[in-house]
Amino acid sequence: MLALKERNNQAFGFLYDNYAGALYSIIKQIITDNNELASDVLQEVFINIWRKIETYDQTKGRLFTWMLNIARNASIDMLRSKGYQNSQKNQELPDNVYKGGVSQTTQQNVDNIGLKKVLEKLKPEHRVLVELAYFKGFTHEEIADMMSIPLGTVKTRIRNALLQLREYLK
Amino acid sequence: MNLKDYIESGIIESYVMGLATGSERAEFERLCAQYPELVAARRKFEESIEASAKEQALPTPPEVKVKIFEAIGKSAPSSLSSTSSNPPKIHTMENSKSPAPARGLGMLRFVAAAAVILLIGMVWLYFQAKQQNQDLTKENDGLKTQRDTAQNILNRIVQEQKQTIGDPNTTVVNMVGTKSAPKSSANVYWDSASSSVYLVVKNMPQLPNDQQYQLWALIDGKPNDLGVFDATNEKLILKMKNTKKAQAFAITIEKRGGAPSPTLEKMQSMGKATQTQ
Repeated sequence: MLALKERNNQAFGFLYDNYAGALYSIIKQIITDNNELASDVLQEVFINIWRKIETYDQTKGRLFTWMLNIARNASIDMLRSKGYQNSQKNQELPDNVYKGGVSQTTQQNVDNIGLKKVLEKLKPEHRVLVELAYFKGFTHEEIADMMSIPLGTVKTRIRNALLQLREYLK
Repeated sequence: MNLKDYIESGIIESYVMGLATGSERAEFERLCAQYPELVAARRKFEESIEASAKEQALPTPPEVKVKIFEAIGKSAPSSLSSTSSNPPKIHTMENSKSPAPARGLGMLRFVAAAAVILLIGMVWLYFQAKQQNQDLTKENDGLKTQRDTAQNILNRIVQEQKQTIGDPNTTVVNMVGTKSAPKSSANVYWDSASSSVYLVVKNMPQLPNDQQYQLWALIDGKPNDLGVFDATNEKLILKMKNTKKAQAFAITIEKRGGAPSPTLEKMQSMGKATQTQ
């Protein structure tokens, strides 16, 4: 039993050493200006990975995809939590993001890492949509409302943007 | 439907990045079960996302790993004790509080009735207990399978991982205690392909604050520093410095921060690395 646990720990340590940096990067692209909360989220994400590992279904995708989505969801939850909102009080309201355009906000310092760097290459009207959907976690409906464009257009533009993203990632 | 158009519609990317709606996901998963080409395309995109994310990896705060292991170390064994949160039911049998019975036939009737009630009560209790027992066995089996699956998945992940970095064999070196510290023990996991060295501390006595353990790789008779560590109660996996070669590993006690060369009389444990082909 002890050996079993040790082996589990070893496996998990391995997992951490291999993926923590990549997941931390995505977390920090969402929680852009609070290192402490970002590292809290990283911790929470790995504890969740450990607890939920039985629910990982190989037929639905690679392990990294599964972990990436856990990390993204946890980060967005944090972004929307009361504690985070309070810590942001003195800063720009997130609503400014949609009107002023993404690049003018506080995220400039992380614009040059990860997926955001790839996003730079997209057309601005496409980039804003992916930004809102992927990094802020808004639904297509919410985005359509916010930007006063038809839902169908939001969908098509996001799909097109993602297809371009795929090309850039190759 | 045209599979090629579907693949080029952006659905794969939406799905993988978690932007697809519930019905889109369901449809996608259904089609994946049907079309291997779709799965292959999904996999390709997943791999490019993974590669890009790994390329962009950021250094993580060192204390996070320790905190995670503390958290899971405490929570891991609790899975069995949480089996049934509802406590076993206690069935008290009401004592019949009827007044002292009349003698003779009345008494006999009373005894007979009491016996029947008692019998019914006992049969009922018996079935209750049996049912509860069955429920518990079932729950227990369920938990066992769950634990085994978790274990299997974890092993499979490590397998998957090992394939990615192209590392067929990790050498496990069992470090045994020396005369001066017979109880000390630790395992070194040395991945000769990537040169990574992981240390699992099994039993190393606590040291005074100004001292630390130091791991050495012996290469052609010369000790090379692989980093220092503290003895902790928690079983931790420590990532040490990499080494391409090593015939043996040794642990010594040194002043905090480590020493340039080992104090051999303070050697705590040692283990030979069996050379892998």
